[in-house]
This record gives sequence, structure tokens and C-alpha cells, in this order.
Amino acid sequence: MHLDVALSSLLGLLTTPRLLFLMAIAVPMGIFFGSTPGLGGKLGLVLLIPFVYNMDQLTGAVFLCAMHAVVHTGGSIPSILIGVPGDGPAAATALDGYAMTKKGQAGRALGASFGASTIGGLLGAMFLGLSLPILQPIILSFSPAEFFLLAILGITFIATLSGNSFLKGMIVGLFGLMCAFIGLDPSTGSPRFAFGQLWLWDGLSVIVAVLAMFAVPEMISLGVRGRSFDLSPETAAKLQDSGQPAEASSRKVSYRQIWHGIWDVFQHKWLVLRCSLLVAAIGVIPGLGGDAASWMAYGHTVQSSKHPERFGKGEVAGVIGAETGSCAKEAGSLLPTLFFGVPGSSGMAIMLGAFLMLGIQPGPTMLTDHINIVWSLIWALVIANIICVIMLIAAAPWIGKLGSAKASFLIPYVLVFALLGCYLFGGNWQNLVLVLAMGGLGYLFKRHDWPRAPFIIGVILGKIAEDSLLKAIGIWGASFFWRPISLVLIALIVASVGFYLWRARRPAVVPSHA
Amino acid sequence: MLKGLLAAGLSACFLWSTAASAADTDLFRGKTITYIVATGPGGGYDTYGRLISRYLQKYLPGSRVLVRNVPGAGHIVGANTIYAAKPDGLTIGMFNTGLIYDQLLKREGVLFDLTKFGWIGKAANDTRALMLSNASGFKSIDDVLRSKAPIKFAASGVGSAAYNDTKIIADALHLNAQIVPGFTGNEGEMSMLRKEVVAEVGTAESMEQFVKEGHGYFALALSGDPTALPGVPRAAQYVKDDRGKRLLALLETLSEIGRLTAAPPGIPANVLAAERQAFDATMKDPQFLAEAKKLDLDIHPASGAQVEVRIKAALNQPPETVAALRAAAGGG
Repeated sequence: MHLDVALSSLLGLLTTPRLLFLMAIAVPMGIFFGSTPGLGGKLGLVLLIPFVYNMDQLTGAVFLCAMHAVVHTGGSIPSILIGVPGDGPAAATALDGYAMTKKGQAGRALGASFGASTIGGLLGAMFLGLSLPILQPIILSFSPAEFFLLAILGITFIATLSGNSFLKGMIVGLFGLMCAFIGLDPSTGSPRFAFGQLWLWDGLSVIVAVLAMFAVPEMISLGVRGRSFDLSPETAAKLQDSGQPAEASSRKVSYRQIWHGIWDVFQHKWLVLRCSLLVAAIGVIPGLGGDAASWMAYGHTVQSSKHPERFGKGEVAGVIGAETGSCAKEAGSLLPTLFFGVPGSSGMAIMLGAFLMLGIQPGPTMLTDHINIVWSLIWALVIANIICVIMLIAAAPWIGKLGSAKASFLIPYVLVFALLGCYLFGGNWQNLVLVLAMGGLGYLFKRHDWPRAPFIIGVILGKIAEDSLLKAIGIWGASFFWRPISLVLIALIVASVGFYLWRARRPAVVPSHA
Repeated sequence: MLKGLLAAGLSACFLWSTAASAADTDLFRGKTITYIVATGPGGGYDTYGRLISRYLQKYLPGSRVLVRNVPGAGHIVGANTIYAAKPDGLTIGMFNTGLIYDQLLKREGVLFDLTKFGWIGKAANDTRALMLSNASGFKSIDDVLRSKAPIKFAASGVGSAAYNDTKIIADALHLNAQIVPGFTGNEGEMSMLRKEVVAEVGTAESMEQFVKEGHGYFALALSGDPTALPGVPRAAQYVKDDRGKRLLALLETLSEIGRLTAAPPGIPANVLAAERQAFDATMKDPQFLAEAKKLDLDIHPASGAQVEVRIKAALNQPPETVAALRAAAGGG
């Protein structure tokens, strides 16, 4: 443990006005990129990389890390207020966050989100900071065999997130898995499900999948409704009975509601702790990826709850689990990027390119010769999270107005940015057609109450599962199942499925999800 | 008198050539040049592309050079995009030299003919090497050649240039190789640390850090400058048959032309000349070289004319070499 380095790095950040100033600029940028569906953190990094070109190593890296650290917290805003997530992890937040908004609890959901993401970010960073000396052997003990089994464990959550109909959930989940296989067949290198289209050789982007399943359907739904609000019938009736104008009172986000949400986080302290540790550990394992980590945290939250039936209908624990997951993984995915040059998430893959541009050469020497940079970046994540939550809480009542923005403003704003993001990131116009076509399908799913979350899980985990399985077989053959960690994971998969089946036998405990 | 006339004549020639050159570089005043990088942001190609484009802007006065990432299908989409662009010099870019394999193998999706691009120059050598992990138990390449047990190689995705390099070397050296594909970036080296695989074929530059950290060593230099990897045996001395020699020669050519910059076919000669001139000036710019050094980027430039000759030579393979490549790498 490098306590002296840890403290001197923290002091270095806090006593360097230039770094604090840059972090204060980076945080609102991160919030903007995160909260604008379609842009997201990865595009934010891409756009900011040219600006750090002439900065020194530490300044440039701290600036980018601070921006990236708060992207997911920003992403929770549209997920909660208008049901439009910008990326894979934010889609998990949308499931219960938007349902809470429909119940007139937007402020509480935002508070829970801000609190959970900050505490998750802090716990994740601290956990990883403390485990630095033993991190390398931990990271190296996970291989493609374990990535495969972890992906399968994640896929079993499809059952948990299938809502009222297990069959519908499985159909959508399998459709997602099938879409994950679009691209080059990893065993032959030949195009698969690509229909002669070169742009499909790289597979279906998770961003396209999320925007198609959530952003486009919500906007179509909004257009059909003609108003930004979608109160649940019970909430609307309750407000009407109390003599309040439904829209005016439900759109209001008060500080009281925000504190209520933050208090919820403390009431779910063990859940927050479990999710933070789980996700930081998953984030640290390169090969599984940050998108998967958030969904696993959400899946764990539903599975470990005494009331799984409440999830997807506005359960605050759902927001807390998903948000803790989104933010705790950042420090986790930073470390393999720094120590092995192997990015722990898709955002970190771009960050790795930026590090190389700044002259930071990832490798084990980061732990010995450049440990001050490692600690500075961990602290940058922590400080950025704190700055972010202060800014967001202060601005919450104004942020809440997004939820009541006019459809005539919201629809073009969301769709233009979503399509722009799709185009800028993939660089091809065909993705725009795909996002609209799949968005139509997503709308049909929404309208006919088919769960959409299993699709995202299938897309994210299908590719990981296939790649890892082929590597594991290439390395060990079928004997990879007998590795010690593999056996533990197999036991977990069996327990997860068994637990679901045991629960499904009990009446009235079937969860429902958007 | 004669001396005076000669001097005047020479001066006139110099002034004329300077004026012509100034006029050519002036072609881009007020214009925006799009520099296509055939990968996503971040990573080696993007770093080279962004650095080169900034200096091209300096040497094409009045122009703006913007980088556009056009990733997809292992550089094929980016190369197709450059190939199909209007040949006015306003769209140029960089892609992987490994596309030579794709053209030779007539891979699906290839809409370009590399011999027809307007070549502006190349920035680096991609010296290839075979690296063994220190935990492999092999002391030298001779141990590897004698091995009866399969030798596990980490490689990138099937069909990619790096995968083809691995297959070619395994074939040329008759190695008892078991290639595990699907590793990207440094994942192969991580797999070596986990003792899952023991060998990797790649550019010496990309593996240098791993060697410096004491986890592995270069067992065989496959191509490139003989002085680049001093003391490392060269593959040529181990390859005995004609098929192996042909494949190694192809790999050698690919190694000589890394980080290419190309323009679409049919680009007017004066425009190409101006861009070549700016590229050559970039490669000599002390500030550019200092930045490249800071970023740990290898710079071994060659002019567009030289690249053109080498590309044509690389693609002018007898059917036997193509057959050998197809047999080694598969049809793609």
C-alpha cells in the first residue's frame, strides 16, 4: 500500500488550481455528453482528445478521466425523466427510473441516482485503491474460460428481467443474442448475417441497440401521446383526487424529493456496498466490459430483493443498483487499461488511445515508476464524482423541467442527437436507417408490453460469450470447465437458475420490466 | 560573362521551380482536406493519422486538414471510401498495408485496386517478429522448431492482417503451431502472462514493451531492417523451401511500407506532387520528429513514388505465391 503516494497525489490534485479548474470544466462536459442521448462518453472522449494533445501527461489524463467519470451520472437524467437512455448501462437505470417518474417520483429517482452513482463511484475507487498491491494476480486469474461463464451468468438474468412473460423475455433475449452474432464469424473470418453489407461486418453497436430499443420507441410514444408526460393511471387518479393539476405537481422536482432519494441510498447501504464491490471486480476483469457490469449489478439487485415483482414498476432499489453499477465500474475498468494496456470497457479503449497519445505507456511499471499517476487518476474519479453530485443537486429543480419539456422540443432534440451520435461514432449512414427500423420494432415491443431489457443483455453478452468460448476451447479444449474459478461460476449459474425457478413457483412474485 | 549567364539561368530555373512549387502548394488555400483513418479513434493508426495530418496542414498553406475516422471490416471500409472519393486531393487517408493480402486473396468487400491509388508516402516500417514468452520453456527458435507438442500462438481475428502474418510464418517455418485467434490489442500478451499461450507474431514496435518488462523475448526477426533487432536470428535462414521463401518475401515487402498515406486513383499529377512534397517535408520536420519520438512512434519514411513501386511489386505475385498464401491463410 502506497499510503504516502496516495495522500501526496490527492494533495497534488487539490492544491493545483489548474487541475481543479480543468476538472470543474470536464465535469459539466461529461454531464452534457452523458445526458444527451446518442452522444455518450465515448464520443465525448473522441471529441476532447485533440484538446489534450498539448497538455502534459497528468493534466491531460486527469481532464479526460474527470469527464469520463461522470458520463454515466449524466446519462441517468434522460433515462429517468424521459425514459431515453444514452448507452447500455443507462438503459438499466431507465427501467425503474422512468417508472418512478411516471409515478410522480422523478425527484426521488434523481436523488437516488445521484447518491448511488456518487457513493458507487467512491466505493469502487477506494476498493480498487486498497487492492492495488494484489490487483495484478487477481486480474490475471481470470481467463477466457471465466469470461465465458460470467457472460452466461449474465445471460441467465434474462429470465429474471423477462417481466410478466418468461416466454416473451426469452424470445426477445434470443433475438438479442442472434443480433450479437452479426458480423465476422470469429472462427472463420467470414461475414455472418451481414447480407453482403460491409458496415455490418463489425456487428451491431450497443449504442444503436439501446437507442433503437429505448430512445426511438419513447419518442414515438411521446409523439402519439402528444405530451411529455406519461403518468401511470393510478398516479394521475391520485393527483386528481387531491385536487392538484396532475402535470404541474408531477413535473416538479423539489430538493425534498432529491434528499428523499439520497436517503434511500443510505437505507440500501448493503445493496450499494455489494453492487460496488461486484461491479468494481467485474470492471477490473478485461474481457467482460463495463456494459455487462451494470446489467449484472441490476440483475443482482432484482434477484436479491425480497420483492422482485416491484422492479420495472418504479422500485427505487432498481435505480440504486443500476446507478451504483454504472459508476463503480469506472475505476475498475481504468486499472487493467493502465497495468496491461487492455481496456476494461469500450470507453477505456478510447481512453487507452488517449493515454498513448499523452505518452503514458501502460504496463506493470505503472505500479512501480508511475504510481503517482495511477493514484492521481483514481482521485480524479473520486473528486469528479463529488463535483458532479454537487452540481447536479444544485441544478436538480431546473433539470427536472426536462421531464415536462414540450414534445415538439423533446422529439427533435432527442432524435437529432441520437442519430448524430450514431453517425459520428460509426461513421456510416446505414446505422441511421438501422436505428429507425429497429426503433419501430422497439416501439411495437413497448406497445404490446414485451420486455426490451433482455434484447440489450443479449446484444452485450452474446458476443462476449462466443469470443470467450472459442478462445477457451482453443486454449484448453473442453477441460476449461474444470478450472477452479470456472467451477465456482458454474455453481453460481446453477444457483441463479435454481433460485429463479424456485421463485417462479411462488405466486405473485413475477417481476415486470419495460 | 558565361559564368554570369549560367548563374542567371540557374537563378531563373530556381525561381521558376520555386514559383511552381509555391503555386502547387497554393492549390489548397482555403480548402479543407479530409484525412481518413480506417480505424476508430485512439490506437496506432489514429495517432499517426492525427499527427501527420496536423503537419500536412502546415506544409499545405491555407488548408485545413481534418481527420475522419472511417472504421469497419478491418480497414476495408476506409480504403474503399478513399478509393471512391473524388480525385481532387481533398480526400486522402491511411489504412493497413495488410490489405495487400485481401486484394491477393480477392476477399469479399474489396472494391479497390491498390496499384491504382495515388501514393503520397509512408511513415514507418512495420518490422515483424516472433516473440516467445519467458514462461514458454523455449530457450530459442531452434527449440520451437524441434517442438513435437503444439505451440500455442495468440493472434487477432481470423482473416485480419496480423492473423495472416501468423499463419504465413507457421506455414513457412513448418511450425507445429496452434493458433488461438480473437485477441485484440495487448490481450495476447496478457494471455501469455496467464500462461495460456506462449508465442505471438506481430510488429516489433508493438511487442517491445512486453520484452522490455522482461516477460518475453524476440526469438525470430521475420522482416525489416536487419539492424532493428540486433542479435535476433532472421527467419530467412530457417526457411528452406520455395513456398516458404515466397511467403517470407511477401511479408518482407509488407513490412517495408507501414503507415501509408494514399489518395484516390486519377488524382491530377500536380495535386499529387504537391501532397507528396508536403508529406516529405512533414517527415523531415524536426518538430514532427520530436512529437513522434514523444509518442514512441517509429518514423522510417519513404516517398510516394517509392511506395508505388513497392506496392506494385507486392501485388505482382506469381500464382504459386498466391496459392501458397491461400493455403496458409485460407481464402479469407
